[in-house]
Amino acid sequence: MKYKIVVDESLDELIIYTPRKNELTDRIEELISNEESELLGYAGSSAVKLEPKDVSCFYVEDGRVFARCDGNKYAVKERLYHFEQRFPLSFVKINQSCIVNVDSIKRFEASIGGALMVTLADGYRDYVSRRQLKSVKKRIGF
Amino acid sequence: MNKYLKEFLHRGLMFGGFGPIIAGIVFAILGATLEDFHIDGWQILLAIVSIYILAFVQAGASVFNQVEHWGVARSLLCHFVTVYLAYSLCYVANSWIPFEPMVLVIFTAIFVVAYFVIWITVYLAVRATEKKLNKNLRRL
Repeated sequence: MKYKIVVDESLDELIIYTPRKNELTDRIEELISNEESELLGYAGSSAVKLEPKDVSCFYVEDGRVFARCDGNKYAVKERLYHFEQRFPLSFVKINQSCIVNVDSIKRFEASIGGALMVTLADGYRDYVSRRQLKSVKKRIGF
Repeated sequence: MNKYLKEFLHRGLMFGGFGPIIAGIVFAILGATLEDFHIDGWQILLAIVSIYILAFVQAGASVFNQVEHWGVARSLLCHFVTVYLAYSLCYVANSWIPFEPMVLVIFTAIFVVAYFVIWITVYLAVRATEKKLNKNLRRL
């Protein structure tokens, strides 16, 4: 795809001209949206600013939502569906309690019970529910 | 509460309700096809409760295969024993099979064969999906 970046310091907004909307424009929109809103994780009494691209997954444990980032676990205040809506392209829901960063997926594995397991780069493992299998397949490019 | 027990109960409660629907369909088919089919209220209640329990256990027991610190043999054995006990007790309690040693042996043999045929079929299907997903993952 041909593209040109024109820097005009007189502008106070970013304007993108494109013949049609596609996955690239959706990703740009997601990137801008992420830049504008902070993601805070809480570990004990300290709050840490998390970079969404470094978060391997968001999951629910004992009714609370956590983010895994660089192998650490941070509590977050938002609900799981919020992240699903906020990162529709970089994250995919694998079951009712977990959404994973597609870039963090290391491999899929069939479990002996007939469930499909996901292993992330940081070693976290969770199963893909039958309900979410279709959307996972679509996201991975079936 | 242990997260696996919680998951067992959650799955069981989600899918248990399908049991009585299946029981209703079976009774409807029997009623429509057998001339002298009749069943009293107590039998209906026992069947509905039994099939609810079977659906509950069948759905809930799937969690055994996701207990990460259990090995393959333990997960499979716990799943098999739980499902087998639920089925055999419900079948005997409802007189769907007579409580006779020879019948129980035949029932167990059929159950073992059916269990492993279904298990292998499901496992191979998931393995095929796993291979396709991993192949596509490498392309991303």
